[in-house]
Amino acid sequence: MNVEETKARASPREFSPKDDLPEEYRKAATRMLEFHANSEIMGAYLERPFIRKAPSLERKMAFSAKVQDEIGHGQLLYRAAESLGVKTRDEMLDDLAEGKGKFLNCFHYPLESWVETPMIAFFVDGAAMRRQATLKKSSWEPYAHAMDKICFEEGFHVKHGESILGELMNGSKKEQEMTQEAFDKWWPRILQFFGPTDDQSSHHDFAADVGLKVMTNDELRNAFLNTYLPKAKKYGLEIPDEPRIRENDDGTYDVVEDDLDWDEFFTIAKNDYEPGVGQIEGRKHAQDAVEWVRNALDEQEAIAAGGQSPQAAD
Amino acid sequence: MAAADDATFASTDDLDETEQEAVQDLLFRLADDELVLAERYTEWQVRAPTLESDISMANIAQDELGHARLWYEVLKDFGHDETDLIWERDADDFRHSTLVEQPFAEGDWADAIVRAYLYDVAEDIQLHALENSTFEPIRDRVGKVLGEEDYHLEYATNWLERLAADDEGRENVQDAVDRLYPYALTLFEPTDEEVEATIVERGLRGEDLVELRDTWHDRVSDFLESIGIEVPGLDLPDQYDVHISPDELPEHLGRDGDHTDHWESLLDEMTEAYDELGRDYATHIMDDDE
Repeated sequence: MNVEETKARASPREFSPKDDLPEEYRKAATRMLEFHANSEIMGAYLERPFIRKAPSLERKMAFSAKVQDEIGHGQLLYRAAESLGVKTRDEMLDDLAEGKGKFLNCFHYPLESWVETPMIAFFVDGAAMRRQATLKKSSWEPYAHAMDKICFEEGFHVKHGESILGELMNGSKKEQEMTQEAFDKWWPRILQFFGPTDDQSSHHDFAADVGLKVMTNDELRNAFLNTYLPKAKKYGLEIPDEPRIRENDDGTYDVVEDDLDWDEFFTIAKNDYEPGVGQIEGRKHAQDAVEWVRNALDEQEAIAAGGQSPQAAD
Repeated sequence: MAAADDATFASTDDLDETEQEAVQDLLFRLADDELVLAERYTEWQVRAPTLESDISMANIAQDELGHARLWYEVLKDFGHDETDLIWERDADDFRHSTLVEQPFAEGDWADAIVRAYLYDVAEDIQLHALENSTFEPIRDRVGKVLGEEDYHLEYATNWLERLAADDEGRENVQDAVDRLYPYALTLFEPTDEEVEATIVERGLRGEDLVELRDTWHDRVSDFLESIGIEVPGLDLPDQYDVHISPDELPEHLGRDGDHTDHWESLLDEMTEAYDELGRDYATHIMDDDE
């Protein structure tokens, strides 16, 4: 199939590993899936310390489950990416460790206090839900299929995040103030979650033409603001004056782009932002420390491949 | 040894003061072990060797947290709540064994697996000794916990076999066994001699700690030796048919409230957000069951 034929056939869940797809398609789909999978892993990295810090047994269990789910999503998405035949999971994980793999802007920032956890678990995950729901209609069937399970579980995460936010905003004055401060800090980053406005996005056109993406950044940002601005207000959060957000008559929003720090955003996109670099290296460090286990498993699989079948390495 | 079948306690109301103390001690041993072990297990989340083992270890940690909750739940019948059971409790009031509070050296997956194995065998033996506990609320819960522990044991055994088949892996497993074995023995130390005597006399637990320890030691050494790992011996005096208490117990036993310094710093980390927020109670009450 050439690119034109691919564009002509593009529709939800149209293509599977059985199809002979052009390299451009396979590369574009791999880029999206790898980015998505990496983001799951780096999000989990950021949230892991809060399993320990959670201020109740139930929150602890929920956080452990959430981090586990995200590793599971990573696993699922890497598999869907591998099936495109461009990169193996090991290559993608290595690239992530080496600082070559890309992931969501929000996961390049440090997460330092409990009051920051709903900024990710409610707002960022909520934003991710918006995007992921549309990806159920991706033309790459394994991606769309992975989204069925992921969206189901993400629904619980967002509820959990919302419950933490509600608890904090109904807590002591101190808790409310700390939460508002965290919101002020995270709000611009969350608005940048959907990237720059469409005319600046380089990959969109092709991805949209072949059905990998079904909504534009602006549409997604609008959908997010429509739901989450009222929710933030409902919990008593004040929306910062800047970045300015203008509500149009048709229910859409314009975010004043100049009020957002795009230099920082593009520094992050290159994996050059300092806290993010530390987080990438922190994860690499932890993974290097268990390299010996993976080597031991690999050797046994190599031996087993000669004779009996290898045991499931889980 | 065990009390007569008719001497069972349906609830806390049926217990006299001595028995109340004994049951609570028994529950604290169970609950605190599970909580602290799980807390250590979660350190492997996002740090395990593969995505698959990451997910499995998280599963096991959550199971153990669930079991901790299950046992703490029974302690609520004695007037406790989550706040005083965990968040406002002094470090030296915790009754877990010092095995479970030890930190992991970075990347020491062998430690995680060996610890899980030593603990899971002990728990399996202990839970079976509780299946006929005279205290009904304990007896009723044993089945649920045992059901999940089978998988944990299988998981640890499977990993041990694989690690021991590799030169570096076997060396790391042996190091972990040498280091952890003395701590594992503290699993079988009494919280208090008198209380322990009550636990056995009233049939709250079917066997005493020395019997449990002997069974544990035999089972653990049989398996570990079968995969080429040496296990320290428990001395067996000629005149008795039981092992005697080993000399090599670590300095801190945990069961008596005397812990290693690692415990206090771990508890500090666990309560960091609780303290930072200025909380004076755990906001979520524990549900009876999910």
